Amino acid sequence: MPFPTLTPTSRQFEAGDFPVKTYKAQSGAEVRILYGTDRTSMTLSLSFANITDANAQLFVDHYDETKGTFNTFDLPTEAVQGWSGTTATFQTIGDNKWRYASAPSIANVRPGTSTVTVNLIGVL
Amino acid sequence: MAKVYTGRDGVMQLGGTTLAKVVSFSLQANLETLETTTLNENIRSYTPGISGYSGSATLLYYKDDNDDINTTDLLNKLYKTGTTGVSSSDTVELTFRWVDGTDNNDIKLTAYITSASIGASTGDIVRAEISFQGTGALSTVTIS
Repeated sequence: MPFPTLTPTSRQFEAGDFPVKTYKAQSGAEVRILYGTDRTSMTLSLSFANITDANAQLFVDHYDETKGTFNTFDLPTEAVQGWSGTTATFQTIGDNKWRYASAPSIANVRPGTSTVTVNLIGVL
Repeated sequence: MAKVYTGRDGVMQLGGTTLAKVVSFSLQANLETLETTTLNENIRSYTPGISGYSGSATLLYYKDDNDDINTTDLLNKLYKTGTTGVSSSDTVELTFRWVDGTDNNDIKLTAYITSASIGASTGDIVRAEISFQGTGALSTVTIS
């Protein structure tokens, strides 16, 4: 089961960083070693406001299928709708995949209507 | 027969009994809307949320021939002694009616009195003004 194909109502993205190890001598001199060529650890928070409970259930089902934060997955194009830059920004960069950073959060708004927030993290 | 309703056709009832000396009343239905606009849309869209009812009324403070005061059962919901305040049983059954001969157009609801004011001023008739908040569904709607 893929990630639910719904367009989010809000989205927040942080670009992560390249795998860099920084060493600092007592003199204050800093040495940085680049351990990889792919930026990673990007975070993506998606909110789906006022969707049906049936659609909200899809996120929990998907969370179960990925064994929570264990397995990785790709995002559908619906997740990046409204972004006019490169869609790859929010999808797999290099060998990155998305996984859940935490469990989907569901807020019940009224009978049959809920707001879902999912927090994802890009991993190599 | 065609008819334009006026204030003369308006009736307000409390517990099925018509209140005397009602000067005005108004009833408002509200619908909360929940925004469903997504990131790829330029026009806002909504889905219905919770609806509710509220309103207000103004009555002359009036004592009839039996020494009964028309506003007693409304004002007493808020003006009361003791420390218990308002309880869940302090609701009123309000009916708002527009009369056309024998044809009654009613809206009936259960409500809490949320504000009640009364005073006196020189050269003026004493009026009681109340506001109410409906609770639950309307029990009667025959205004179509």
